[in-house]
Amino acid sequence: MANVRLDKIKPLVALAAFLFAWWAIPTTVKSYLKAGFTEFQSPAWVATSYLDDLEGFWARRSHSKVELIEAGREVARAKSHYQFRAQRTQSLEQEISRLETILHLPSRREFRYEVARVVRRDLNYWWQHIIIRKGKDYNIPKGAAVVFAGGVVGRVIEVNAFTSRVELVTSPNFRMAANFEGDGRPVIYQGVAQSGFGNPIGSVRDAPKDSHASTLTPLKLVSTHLGGTFPAGLVIGQVSWLEPGITGIFQAGSVELDSRLLSLHEVAVLIPLHPINLPSDDL
Amino acid sequence: MNQYDVHRGENPRIIFFFWIVILASITLVLGLAWRQLIANQKYEAIEKRQTERRILKPGPRGDIYDRKGNLLVGNRPHYSAVVYLDDLRREFRSEYSKIIRAERERIRKAYDLRPKNERAGVAPPAPNYNELQWVARKNVIEIYIDKINVITGREDTITTRAIIRHFNEQLLLPLVLVEDLTADQYARLIEQVPVQSPIKIHTDTARYYPYGAAAAHTLGYVQKVNPDPSEIIDDGLKTFTFKTKQGKTGIERSFDEHLSGTTGHEIWRVDPLGFQDALLYQEAPKQGENFISSIDIDLQIAAETALGNRTGTAIALDVKTGEVLAIASHPGYDLNDLSPYIPRKVFDKINEQGAWMNRSLQLSYPPGSTFKLLSAIAGLRKGTINTKTQHNCQGVFPLGNRIFSCHARNGHGLVDLATAIEGSCNIFFYAEGLRIGIDELSAEAQRFGLNERTGIEVPYETGRLVVPTKDWKREIIGEGWMLGDTANTAIGQGFLLVTPLQMANLIASIARGETRTQPTLRALSAEEAKRVDHGGEPIGLTPRQHVELWEGMERVVSNSGTGRLVQIDGLRIAGKTGTADFRAHGKEVNLAWFLGLAPVEDPQIAIAVMVEGTSSSDSYHGGSTAGPVAKDIFLEFIEHYPERAGLAFKY
Repeated sequence: MANVRLDKIKPLVALAAFLFAWWAIPTTVKSYLKAGFTEFQSPAWVATSYLDDLEGFWARRSHSKVELIEAGREVARAKSHYQFRAQRTQSLEQEISRLETILHLPSRREFRYEVARVVRRDLNYWWQHIIIRKGKDYNIPKGAAVVFAGGVVGRVIEVNAFTSRVELVTSPNFRMAANFEGDGRPVIYQGVAQSGFGNPIGSVRDAPKDSHASTLTPLKLVSTHLGGTFPAGLVIGQVSWLEPGITGIFQAGSVELDSRLLSLHEVAVLIPLHPINLPSDDL
Repeated sequence: MNQYDVHRGENPRIIFFFWIVILASITLVLGLAWRQLIANQKYEAIEKRQTERRILKPGPRGDIYDRKGNLLVGNRPHYSAVVYLDDLRREFRSEYSKIIRAERERIRKAYDLRPKNERAGVAPPAPNYNELQWVARKNVIEIYIDKINVITGREDTITTRAIIRHFNEQLLLPLVLVEDLTADQYARLIEQVPVQSPIKIHTDTARYYPYGAAAAHTLGYVQKVNPDPSEIIDDGLKTFTFKTKQGKTGIERSFDEHLSGTTGHEIWRVDPLGFQDALLYQEAPKQGENFISSIDIDLQIAAETALGNRTGTAIALDVKTGEVLAIASHPGYDLNDLSPYIPRKVFDKINEQGAWMNRSLQLSYPPGSTFKLLSAIAGLRKGTINTKTQHNCQGVFPLGNRIFSCHARNGHGLVDLATAIEGSCNIFFYAEGLRIGIDELSAEAQRFGLNERTGIEVPYETGRLVVPTKDWKREIIGEGWMLGDTANTAIGQGFLLVTPLQMANLIASIARGETRTQPTLRALSAEEAKRVDHGGEPIGLTPRQHVELWEGMERVVSNSGTGRLVQIDGLRIAGKTGTADFRAHGKEVNLAWFLGLAPVEDPQIAIAVMVEGTSSSDSYHGGSTAGPVAKDIFLEFIEHYPERAGLAFKY
């Protein structure tokens, strides 16, 4: 009878022993093990991602020639439009550079873009992290800004050999300096816990009391260059209402983010050409 | 049946103990009921005092606007990096253990190095635990400050004394690590300090002055002080308070109650060590009321610009209501340099320049020839001056064994009242002053309130005002009154001391034909403006006398007058220039005065300008130095109030 009982609790004893061992081993070893596990998993994630891409490729192959020709025309039109925009941007940049020289202004922070495919959205962090298919192999730095066509995506928080982990703009642990378009005064943007349904949202606080937002005249929240991580003017979202915060003078409100954040396929990492003092882990 | 039941009701000892138990139980139940039902409030209060703490959060101050709604004083964000000590307790303990171990090791090594005979029977000394505890706390806090410094590029530090004071007096409040962060430092911290970090970015407000030094003395500045004890609810709860801002000078001080916000408060439950456990109640602070001042920022800037780097003051009043449209005093200071606190360097610099003084009302000066208007009124009222009164100015006026001179060395020739005012002839007023007599001259000046503070809503108006009388000289100087004193008084020199604001009041009063003007810094509503009571009386000149006086004043601003530089096409201006000798900065300097009003047909604006020489080489004159300052203000008035200037169709 006693032997039977002992057999039954063996797994529990093993689990307890494992938990105790995990608790007892130093943090550095734990971090090392965790990083090792991630690196171990990464090839599988990357392979899955490539398979997804292949699946997409074959799905497109099934389209008719007419559809492909039409899509090709559409792409050509978009390309010529973007070429025109690129030329215009280039001339504007030259003009800004000229004005900076004349006015002796400090030059703006320059970035290099590294486009990366999204491998997966990480379930372990309540879908608030994404894994991208580029890492140390492309010199992705920790803390770098990540953007997409709709604006800010988030910030790189972990860099592995071939992948990087990005904390999304929707995460409650994501915070950045921002400003309302056309108003240079800095405000704080922070992600909030998502409801799981509907469009992603965030929060804004420390907004000046003379800022007015309504559903008819929403304010566009954009990034500011002041923080050093993001270039100025990237769209974060729209603010449709502001109300007095607990300070009695600044306002706080909700930010409606781009719904495409829920289905990201490709993002760009902004790699600063001149590195900045990035925070240490224990700050 | 129990074996002891047989004794029930029989054994008196059992019955005795039975009743003892019953009584004790009743006592316990009653005691419990007493504490729970009747004395519960007392115990609740004790429990509350032991476990709850209040934090007072002062509300932001109201804004100050000019009469047209332009923001003159507002609130800007004031960013600091702070840390709640509660969040660092684990790190404090860990650092403390590390330090204690190191210290014990050091002591043991030192002990082991001592000769054996010295060690015999002597235990190694114990570490100073209390001191090491503060060292540990400082080390932890400094690590965070260093990290902030790396991100912001600053070089901030903290003293052990500041940490001890915070622990003992403000444990529940955040400890400020780095104060007054710039916008980019704030943004960098926001982005580079993780949300979970104990470092929090605290946003408070500091006063912000969009126009910098404009009307600095009048608007005033604030200082951080501990809140008024009367605001703290006296319910025995230990209260921690953030500092509040209190007006120190100017409108900020005079209207402090109006501008001050309502204090909000939080009630926290704390643990046995006094650190916060849970927020129980929160009431948000509310911003104070806004204040609409009478100042017109365009006129104010015009006055400030016209004064430039010179020392002096320029005041513009609304003739009808007494509202101050502009009031500039130079040298001034940029109010933004005094917010959120006054750095020592800034204080010393302002002190060195003598810029703390509001020259429009905190210092008094001889009015010079501008006082001749009062002498003229006194003479006209007494009847010693009339249309036929004339004096021959030869440039000198012998009186007793002294020779009094006119500024026109060759003399003005034959002058009547209007010509004497136009050319500011001293000889005419020496002669007429002697005919009027000091008693009437002083009485007239007192009737216009030159011996009293104006009562404007700005603190520290000087009381050093002198309208000399015979008794005054006997009492203060200890000498008898001389005729020469009367002559000097008649031309605004001698013992006379007035503030430029009083002279602005004088010209505004003359413009309305009254003796008093009540200046105010509050923008009056249309209804209030109709009900303004300046409190004086009519000057009491006949229409003929009035014309005589005004003709002289208007001729001042004509091609041949001393104030010719003030002329503006299409606007009829009347005024009086003045140049006074004054001892300041340890030397004799010139004071240049100009008093003016416009338009003559229906006066709307009255201006007083005084420019103070700062060295003996400054050759200042009322017409050429102060006059152009007034002209710039008149021009600005025409631009912004063309209808009131009677020039709407032209501009």
